[in-house]
Amino acid sequence: MPRGGWYSVGVVLMFAVLPFVYGNHALLFNMMMYLVLAQGINVLFGFTGYLPFGYVGFFGTGAYGTSLAILLLHLPPLPALLVGAAAAMLVGLVLAPLLKLSGAYFAIASLAASEVVYYIVSNPHLTPLTQGPYGISLVQTYNAAQSYAVMVAVLALALGAVVYLRNSNLGLALQAIREEPISAGFAGINVVRERTRAWLLSAALAGLAGGVYAWHVSVFYPKPVFDLSISVFAIVFTLFGGAATLLGPVVGTLLLYGLYNWIGISQPEYFQLVFGIVIVVLVLFLPNGLMSLLRRIRVDVP
Amino acid sequence: MLSYTLLAGLLFGLYFSLVAVGLNLVFGVMRLINLAHGDFLMLGAFLAYGLYAAAGLNPLYAIPAAIVAFMLAGVALYYAVVPRLQASRDPQMLSFILLFGVSQIIEALAVIAFGNNQRAIPATVFGSRPVLLLGQSFPVAWVVSAAVSAVALVVVYVYLYHSRLGYATRAVMASRDEAASTGINVHRVSAIALGTGLALAAVAGVFSAFMLGSIEPDMGIGITTTSFAVIVIGSLGNPLGTVLGGLVYGVGLMVMETFYPSWADLLPYVLLILILLVRPSGLLGQRVRLA
Amino acid sequence: MTKYLRLRRWLLACAALPMVLLGAAASQAAVPKEIRIGTLYADSGPFATSSLSQLAGLKFWVNEVNRQGGVFVRAYGRKIPVRLVTYNDRSSTTTAATLYNQLITEDRVNILAADFGSVLTSVAVPIAREHQMLLFDQTGTGAAFFTRDNPYIVLTSLPTSARWPYALADFLKAQGKIRRVALLYATNDFTGSQAQTLRARLQGSGVKLVFDHGVPTSTSSYALLLHNIQASRPDAVIEFGFPDNDIAFLHDLQASGIKFKMVFTIFPGQLLALVQKNVGAQTLAYTYTYPTPPLLVYNRVNYGMGLDRFSRAFHAATGTQPNFLNIAGFNTGLIIQKTLDTAPNLRQMTLRRSVMRFSGKLHTLDGAFRIDATTGAQIGEALPVGQFIPVGKGLTVRMVYPPAIATGRPAYPAP
Repeated sequence: MPRGGWYSVGVVLMFAVLPFVYGNHALLFNMMMYLVLAQGINVLFGFTGYLPFGYVGFFGTGAYGTSLAILLLHLPPLPALLVGAAAAMLVGLVLAPLLKLSGAYFAIASLAASEVVYYIVSNPHLTPLTQGPYGISLVQTYNAAQSYAVMVAVLALALGAVVYLRNSNLGLALQAIREEPISAGFAGINVVRERTRAWLLSAALAGLAGGVYAWHVSVFYPKPVFDLSISVFAIVFTLFGGAATLLGPVVGTLLLYGLYNWIGISQPEYFQLVFGIVIVVLVLFLPNGLMSLLRRIRVDVP
Repeated sequence: MLSYTLLAGLLFGLYFSLVAVGLNLVFGVMRLINLAHGDFLMLGAFLAYGLYAAAGLNPLYAIPAAIVAFMLAGVALYYAVVPRLQASRDPQMLSFILLFGVSQIIEALAVIAFGNNQRAIPATVFGSRPVLLLGQSFPVAWVVSAAVSAVALVVVYVYLYHSRLGYATRAVMASRDEAASTGINVHRVSAIALGTGLALAAVAGVFSAFMLGSIEPDMGIGITTTSFAVIVIGSLGNPLGTVLGGLVYGVGLMVMETFYPSWADLLPYVLLILILLVRPSGLLGQRVRLA
Repeated sequence: MTKYLRLRRWLLACAALPMVLLGAAASQAAVPKEIRIGTLYADSGPFATSSLSQLAGLKFWVNEVNRQGGVFVRAYGRKIPVRLVTYNDRSSTTTAATLYNQLITEDRVNILAADFGSVLTSVAVPIAREHQMLLFDQTGTGAAFFTRDNPYIVLTSLPTSARWPYALADFLKAQGKIRRVALLYATNDFTGSQAQTLRARLQGSGVKLVFDHGVPTSTSSYALLLHNIQASRPDAVIEFGFPDNDIAFLHDLQASGIKFKMVFTIFPGQLLALVQKNVGAQTLAYTYTYPTPPLLVYNRVNYGMGLDRFSRAFHAATGTQPNFLNIAGFNTGLIIQKTLDTAPNLRQMTLRRSVMRFSGKLHTLDGAFRIDATTGAQIGEALPVGQFIPVGKGLTVRMVYPPAIATGRPAYPAP
């Protein structure tokens, strides 16, 4: 088993078993969804240093791609999910030139890009195609238990992707690019290609998460699946736990999303306040997240 | 119809210049993108709303209060975080993330203080009779907002080009290290620039109820992106280029709103992406640093 | 995947069997000490004003029945106190979805009622269906919720939104002087479906749509749009929106100095006090709306309080005059009360059958209650057209259409 493998298996098993002992499956589902998104952010930010504020754009694209495949192509949900992931990767490919921009410009440009996708999808003129602002209804394929199970599988995939990156040449190459882009180029690493790969992998994970989300809720409007707060949650969970590790985003999500459901769900502004303070404190005092504390005391973190 | 659209575009263009100019000033001096820019604007809007709702005060009275309060806030914010960040490994990205945290904090505090509801100041506070400009009638609030914006932009010009502080500020913009070596107090100049940037945003916020629609705690991030679009159209780091960016954006927005209204919301985002990718130097000015 | 599911289903079955046995034994014996009614509300965001009003109406009903020792539950042959379980969804559908789940799976409510409006109701529809809970849909009037294959929904207080503009369309056609109509609507289920109906009903008549434009529901600035509408020289301007849209629209109309011969908006007819406070009586004078109770009085009440008695009692209890959404929330309570009063047990399908049994026979202060038997949609009430006429410093409503209930002729064009 590669490093971190057993942890991943443990997390996946936990979410496979929890529904039998805890009734609010929507909550468990959302937590898995954020675990996947946080790992998606991790793939990009942790391994390349690019922070995609517009990450939710891929999520929304996946949700719409999957839904439209079900509604227009009459595909069953599982192949439709692949269409959703492919749609997210396609958007990623179109936006790949953004990777030319340096850090902060990239972050803002990706945010703008997700708004562009949102305004196109929700445009009333496209109602015959996307249902425009009136939202999607997939009641005919609604199946809470199956979609939950598929999200468990997507979670396994996301964790597997990060385990792979942590243990593979691609992951090493990406981190070399992150630290020293110019010398990495001299060392024969194709900087543009490796970055684009991470970007597309990250897009595909968000697209899958969005697709399963769409199937699971089955009725949704464009605004909630393109809501900036989805990006914000995933980014904060990743930063809090510690990017570029497998466990960081997992711990960040379990702790913060758990806290969110404990105090936040009906008082989200207090939670947003906590988030904001967490970010400021992290940047000033702990830029590499909680996991860096463990590393400081010589614990090896996968 | 077209002349109405163009005139409205100029009025909004002046206003958008004011909305964005503070962001560009801060960027020019510190090379950092203030992600909380729109949130400071939102606070200015609530200040004007609060004075109006509590005491029936005309929003114009909110301007001096906004300038003093946000100038101080900016100076305090600078000394609290910026010197510490500049010592770190990647100051640009870290300060960007930090200001994002600040933006979240401001938005959350605004929801806690004011509730997550839309607020409006009646456009009739400046009088109910529309103003005639070149044979077209416009809401008086638009004309007042544009006029105040023009005055504020002139003040920024005088500050930058006709004052000792402005000379030092431009020296820091050109090169932080060289400015420091010639004995300029870089921290003091930068702190004042951040304060001025926030004060300008807050003054723009005073009029947002008339120009941008109702006041809400979560309006900030959209305004930050729009402002960023305006300053990249003009030129990053050149505050006066913002006026050109604002006018281009204002007229573009009004033309879209009139002729292709359902696509108008796309405008700032598409412009932002295109200009960053195709002509990162903006319509004027120097190049953006690429990776 | 299938393996996992099979295992899961098997495990579920094992877990469920003893519960079913236990449950069957328990329902014979114990009378519950309370009936739990679960619902959501939004204390902030775009639906807050409406949602809080609706909740206040439902709460008022709960207090009324509890004052009398509880609601009569036929299944147990006695009165049982009612407990309202509520959460705050802040107008967010994502939050609402989790909370509806919470009400069903963790709080195990006996009765599930939706939050205000189509947007916040939309997420409840599949969740209620999945858990086989009958959703008492209060004001979520989106036509898509009501399908033949889903018995787990009834709409209590308003007709589905696509039916709202029937009288309005007829009025525009019958008026005679109206040839050119401008239609501006917020693009959501609620107002989008009304725009669609109006468009369909005006087609082929002598009335032409000279301006037909949807704007995002978040729109709060209408100045430029008003200018564009004016350029199309309409005889009547119809604006369909949520309360914030209507307020911003009327507000900008006043600021622009533009005058139209006829202006129609929805929410002054439901939330008159709120709209009037924000835009002033002068702006509302001579505009048109769908009048609802309390502006509209139904006299054939055969169940629960009539409007006068309700208004007095509500004012005594809360210190405010009731608006329509207070009445809608209270009406939901009445429908639940009648359901519990007639259902032989508390199984959700039994509740639905009981609702069908009294559908068409019940007249409350909110009008006739009649449910479409196959879909659960409300078809009993119709929305007339009224015009605000200034009286001194205030306003009164003149019913102008349909002729059967008209109290006067419309003042057209608006003076």
